[in-house]
Amino acid sequence: MKYVTKLDGVEREFEFVREGGKLIARSGGRDQQLDLALVGDGATFSLLVDGRSYDVVADVDREKVFAQVLGQRFVVGVEDERERAAHAVAGNKAGGKRELRAAMPGIVIDVKVASGDEVEEGRTLVVLEAMKMQNPLAAEQKGKVTRVLCIKGEAVAAGALLVELE
Amino acid sequence: MPLFRRILVANRGEIALRVIRTAQEMGIETVAVYSDADRAALHVRRATLAVHLGGSKPAGSYLDIGKIVAAAVATGCDALHPGYGFLSENEDLAEACKQAGIEFLGPPPHAITVMGDKVEARKAAAKAGVPLVPGLQEDVDAARLAAAARQVGYPVMLKAAAGGGGKGIRIVREEKQLVEAFELARAEAKSSFGDDRIYLEKFVTRPRHVEIQVMADKHGNVVHYGERECSVQRRHQKLVEESPCVALTPELREQMGKAACDLARSVGYVGAGTVEFLWSEGRFYFMEMNTRLQVEHPVTEMRYGVDLVREQIRVGAGEKVAPPPEPRGHAIEVRVNAEDPATFFPSLGTLTRINLPGGPGVRLDSAMYRGMEVTPFYDSMLAKLIVHGADREQAIARCVRALRELRLVGVATSLPTALAALRSAEFAGGDYDTGILERIDRKAPAATAELAALAAAAARFLLAERAGAASAAPAGKGGRDDTPRWAASVRGQRQWRTAP
Repeated sequence: MKYVTKLDGVEREFEFVREGGKLIARSGGRDQQLDLALVGDGATFSLLVDGRSYDVVADVDREKVFAQVLGQRFVVGVEDERERAAHAVAGNKAGGKRELRAAMPGIVIDVKVASGDEVEEGRTLVVLEAMKMQNPLAAEQKGKVTRVLCIKGEAVAAGALLVELE
Repeated sequence: MPLFRRILVANRGEIALRVIRTAQEMGIETVAVYSDADRAALHVRRATLAVHLGGSKPAGSYLDIGKIVAAAVATGCDALHPGYGFLSENEDLAEACKQAGIEFLGPPPHAITVMGDKVEARKAAAKAGVPLVPGLQEDVDAARLAAAARQVGYPVMLKAAAGGGGKGIRIVREEKQLVEAFELARAEAKSSFGDDRIYLEKFVTRPRHVEIQVMADKHGNVVHYGERECSVQRRHQKLVEESPCVALTPELREQMGKAACDLARSVGYVGAGTVEFLWSEGRFYFMEMNTRLQVEHPVTEMRYGVDLVREQIRVGAGEKVAPPPEPRGHAIEVRVNAEDPATFFPSLGTLTRINLPGGPGVRLDSAMYRGMEVTPFYDSMLAKLIVHGADREQAIARCVRALRELRLVGVATSLPTALAALRSAEFAGGDYDTGILERIDRKAPAATAELAALAAAAARFLLAERAGAASAAPAGKGGRDDTPRWAASVRGQRQWRTAP
């Protein structure tokens, strides 16, 4: 089975093959021998890559895998072949709508964009004050602002839709 | 006989637990206070007695002096430890304890009042002979400007007297920029604060934050336990602290220690306190004094082999402060906060899994537990990791090692930020300042990201494989022969999902 991972905008393809009791990971024309053992708690794995040992957390939530490796934390998108094909179809229909939501309750202290603005990845869209800190909320990808659903000074709940992009 | 019968700990989280631990070791009973949100918190579970204060918001619980002192009286406490934050620097609590006949384990109210006021604190420092940032000229006007700046020496900073939030501040590097900058600063101050008074001081280049730990008793004795360097900061909040500070010479350390002790003595200080300085180009300048135990006090404890909470309790009971032992080796502390490492945005969630570091020279101060909710009500600090090594190099390596062992699942943490700082050439070289986190590359190494992608994909592959095997071959030895654990894990999958 083939899997495509997405991490910080980088896509990688992995194919996993069982060969005579061995598990091979094939990626970018390179083969690595894997040995993966689940440890008690359900998401910690002992991972051996060509004999090199790593203690990793890989907590699977459907197509999102929360991974912790060598002190770093990642949220890795992982699609298998079928999911990838299904998304390609769905993506064409939806036209790639994206949303910016409030990660926690707070006060909108600044709205930096207006409907129709073209924004680059990383551009601050809204500044939200929460837990006494001002938090800039940035665009995850480049796109066009289609709707702004919050105003300066407004108190918003966790999960509230703030900006819609496409 | 214990020094006190019972201490009320007017705090929560790791610092409440920290105080409870030492009190227990000294044979002193403890009283925890708690809010609705903290019913199951570790400080409640570890204390001798626990008193419910009220709602989850601090105003109705950990900040309510009336409720706290009433709880201390009702439970027969003869001392109160304020921890840090909350009411620890509130002279009204110190005063209320005094009125109730309860020993406040901190300085007398007067010392808290003086040090709590920027202007008064500066005056006290000047009187005690402690150096201030040079050239402070309050309320300068255009006529005196150039002369004042020349006297201070460029670069200088123009600041709004009523200022805050970076508004009304101008850095001037040479005289020809001075008048224009002054007019701009004044206009900005006027429009932002309705007050155009400007003061001028020397611009401190590449400042390091270096602080001195002091301890004073009721007999007029004041000692210091050297310095802590706290320049690794984001959003003006400390993230990594170490001792000793590589920038200090023995002479400068002695001068700073003496200055801190003189200042404490001049205000009749009692208990633990920290005098914060700015260090720049071989000189030091008074910033402020914190009249309480600090978050990073374990750095000093590790290096000096001293228990500062025990010392607080001892001097509070009227005993004399003990001369500090000889410091040894190097200590580093990392604050583990629930926060997004890219934005420093607080990260809320439930700690579903915890793996704590161990081994030689490692200490973890924390009140977290598996299943704990990280809520928006309180500080986002989850734990402090403190390491001690024979020298700085060993301490850094040990800290990196222990940080990799520490694993928290359910929230994002400051661990990657701390790792990036510890591994940077700038930190390793020691020539760093408070701007270090803005300069260094905080991204995860590419090889680590690559490995994470592989692990994530492999985990999904295996779960799918086992799920398929379990459903396709329900009987016999076929699909599930060697891995009953996998089948179990797939069934349990829904339960171990965590918020991303």
